[in-house]
Amino acid sequence: MKGLNIPATEKSPRVLFDTANYIFEIQGNSRPENGRDFYFPIIYKLRKHFEKVIDKKKIEEFNEKCFKFNFKLDYFNSSSAKFISDILVLIKDFTEEGLNIKIYWYFAESDEDMKEVGEDFSDMISIPFHFIMIER
Amino acid sequence: MSLDVIDGILHHLKIFLFHKQHDKMMRKRVYSLSVECLDNILKHSDISEEKHELLINYPPRFIVEKIAEDFLIHTGNVILNKNRDKIIPRLDKLNALTIEEINELYKKSLANAEISAKGGAGLGLIVMAKTTKQKIRYDFEKINDKFSYFAMQLNLKK
Repeated sequence: MKGLNIPATEKSPRVLFDTANYIFEIQGNSRPENGRDFYFPIIYKLRKHFEKVIDKKKIEEFNEKCFKFNFKLDYFNSSSAKFISDILVLIKDFTEEGLNIKIYWYFAESDEDMKEVGEDFSDMISIPFHFIMIER
Repeated sequence: MSLDVIDGILHHLKIFLFHKQHDKMMRKRVYSLSVECLDNILKHSDISEEKHELLINYPPRFIVEKIAEDFLIHTGNVILNKNRDKIIPRLDKLNALTIEEINELYKKSLANAEISAKGGAGLGLIVMAKTTKQKIRYDFEKINDKFSYFAMQLNLKK
């Protein structure tokens, strides 16, 4: 598969980047020992993929499918927040280049803070998120 | 203080919170604050031979106290005086802000944060203020011309 499929650990989330199915999903807890080592390759891969879509003039084909970003995080520490913000800024940049990308932000029913931080991120990049509450 | 020690503490804390705290939101907030506190202790523990001696009298401190429905988190660690002089204005600035201003600062800082050589995004203290919605209490005890002991107390109210 082109993209990424990183399994979750106790400290780092599962990351799935499935270019064929137009989906990026990050799920679980994020408190990696070295945030830079964990997130940089992910951000690099995303950037390269979206640049390729634009360079090869495949925007129309891409936009017919609509790329989905699913954020299904249970917990992340403050340095992970910075890297998540980097991913979101990247989405904003490519949205401005004309790519059709939707952001889905999942939060547990009991976790109002996770919803609030999603709202903060959405405000920060001026892109509305789709908020989805999960019952647990 | 090492990563393994932190993982051990967080593991025990999770078990403690599972048994003693039924409100899931409070459980998560205590956990999240603890991660930031422990990360700070680890990142600011500039180890040197000179400091090893000090640690006997000034060991790192991390205490979670449950008082009725509220929590107090106490931390303590030795820091360089030059770092103390950088932290005090940051804490005073945070303590002077309203909750709304802290939320705005958080959003602005997320967008502008740079990851330091020690892996921090400089967001830890802001997250603490944002999560507790209370003033951060702190104290510095001067040990000598080079080091101080930095004590901090976070108050998380139900």
